[in-house]
Amino acid sequence: MRAFLAFTKKEWVELIRTGRLAILLVLFSLFGIMNPAVAKLTPWMMEMMADSLKETGLTVAAVKVDAMTSWTQFYKNIPIAMVIFLLMFGGILTAEYQKGTLINMLTKGLARWKVILAKGCIMTATWTVCYWLCYGITYGYNWYFWENGIASHLGLAAACVWILGIWLIAVMLLMSTVFQTSSAVLAATGGIALVSYVVGLIPKARKFLPTHLLAASGMLSGAGSVEEYWCAVWVTIGLGVLGLLAAVIVYNKK
Amino acid sequence: MDVLTLSHVSKSFGQHRVIENLEFCIPEHTVYGFIGQNGAGKTTTMKIILGLLRADTGVITVNGKQVCYGQNHTNQFIGYLPDVPEFYGFLTPIEYLELCGEITGMEKREIRRRSEEMLELVGLSERKKRVQGFSRGMKQRLGIAQALLNRPKLLICDEPTSALDPVGRKEILDILHTVKEHTTVLFSTHILSDVERICDKIAFLHNGKLEFQGTLEEIRSQRQGRGFQIEFYRKEDVALFLKYFPGTVSEGGYKVLCERNMGNNMQNNMKYVEKNMTHAMEFVVKNNMAIRSIEMLETTLENLFMEVVGQ
Amino acid sequence: MNIKEVLPFIIPLIIAEFTLLAISIWHILTHNHYKRGNRILWLIVVIVGMEFIGPVLYFLLGKEDV
Repeated sequence: MRAFLAFTKKEWVELIRTGRLAILLVLFSLFGIMNPAVAKLTPWMMEMMADSLKETGLTVAAVKVDAMTSWTQFYKNIPIAMVIFLLMFGGILTAEYQKGTLINMLTKGLARWKVILAKGCIMTATWTVCYWLCYGITYGYNWYFWENGIASHLGLAAACVWILGIWLIAVMLLMSTVFQTSSAVLAATGGIALVSYVVGLIPKARKFLPTHLLAASGMLSGAGSVEEYWCAVWVTIGLGVLGLLAAVIVYNKK
Repeated sequence: MDVLTLSHVSKSFGQHRVIENLEFCIPEHTVYGFIGQNGAGKTTTMKIILGLLRADTGVITVNGKQVCYGQNHTNQFIGYLPDVPEFYGFLTPIEYLELCGEITGMEKREIRRRSEEMLELVGLSERKKRVQGFSRGMKQRLGIAQALLNRPKLLICDEPTSALDPVGRKEILDILHTVKEHTTVLFSTHILSDVERICDKIAFLHNGKLEFQGTLEEIRSQRQGRGFQIEFYRKEDVALFLKYFPGTVSEGGYKVLCERNMGNNMQNNMKYVEKNMTHAMEFVVKNNMAIRSIEMLETTLENLFMEVVGQ
Repeated sequence: MNIKEVLPFIIPLIIAEFTLLAISIWHILTHNHYKRGNRILWLIVVIVGMEFIGPVLYFLLGKEDV
């Protein structure tokens, strides 16, 4: 336990001293502010466009924005933030192989599964803080300008995307134990997400796939039912745990 | 008591046999030099001792306990210094040592005390600076400090000096020499002068086989009596000398070399060479030859090494 | 569109972007080695790179692993 805590502490210090945490926090805050800002600016931009379009004979109806517009932005932008997050952590294990920093830790008796678990914990914690920070900021603005009440199951829908993020972290850890370079790890992680997306094009399979959680914003307008997502949530959690276990097993064999 | 014993250890990677039937043991408080060319199997042997690689056959014991692959309970007796130690650049030496101590399960107070002690020993003064900007020599020092932190019975160093400049090399060797009082050192190298400087016992590894091992004294005695060399002032003296002493060869210019017959008996060889040398001196005096120098030749470690690797 | 409505966005946005810029510039100036590129290049990228893209590029591609 002490070894695990010491290694986790090292990961934490790394997160802070490399500036990674600060960058991610600011970035996710930026994303959080951008969502309502874009929503707020939409009518104004429409007006500007309408003026120029009028000359060509087109008329644009006035658009009405509300919290929903902002939340739509949130779900449109969060995948980008997620990708940046994963890119930032793509080398979390491979950088240690390449530099050879882990060998010393392992020869000193640090169990391999503790390495995986410590890195997983730190990434999950960072993702959780960053994600809910972004959510909280968007929520705050929406509350201030409009009314969040018009969207249903706000927290639940957000939790779906959050779980998806954790699944991707587990996948990335597993890939980190298989591949030697961060680009290979990222490509493989992206590949798996893509597979999930492509298989999701089959209507019958969609419900059971992790990437289905990205569409969880459907809950907000009431277009999709909550039940529709439970399957995907359980599958994602299951796959995440399996991924972590597989990562430990693969890593032990190396 | 022997801290490390290897018996009948073999290892191959696919078809390639890296180590063949390796057998040696290291008594306490010795500095054991492990010599061999690049690719002779030194690093592989060390990795097997550390349990990072699996031996195909053979038994290794460290401090009386058998080494098993993947399990590192024997590693509690071992401190390991890789050839180019890499540390987390964002930590300071003190923090890194703390991390190491925590992982090996040392007590908090002990960690702090030992860290100070070790940094003192290796002479690393930048304790609060991050490792990021450290030079190779400084990293090597920190490497020794971390390897010795938990008072290991055996310190294994993989080519600790090969990446350093002469000054840094001497300093690291001095540290290893001091450390001998507290622990046993096994270190690999291909720099032969390092071996002469600090080793008590040495082993030559060639193509995965142990070609020769012994104490430095044993090797010294083997090195005597290779022959002698005379350097003259005049060309005609050289010609005359060569004519009267069959078996001597001109080394070009004014030098003449008289080598021993390459028999195996050291004692006889030595006597033979001594006799020949006094004989030659008599001849030189009798013929009024002036000489620049006369010198007994010793086999350098390098010659021995070359002999071993068959070149 | 009234300016009062925009202020709640503009101020935090500016603060966040300048923080990002400050962290990146500080990081670039305190390090001498980069994975690729050099100091001038990264300073330009970070300053010119609109909004967050410059700093993100730097931290992904330019920052050396330690």
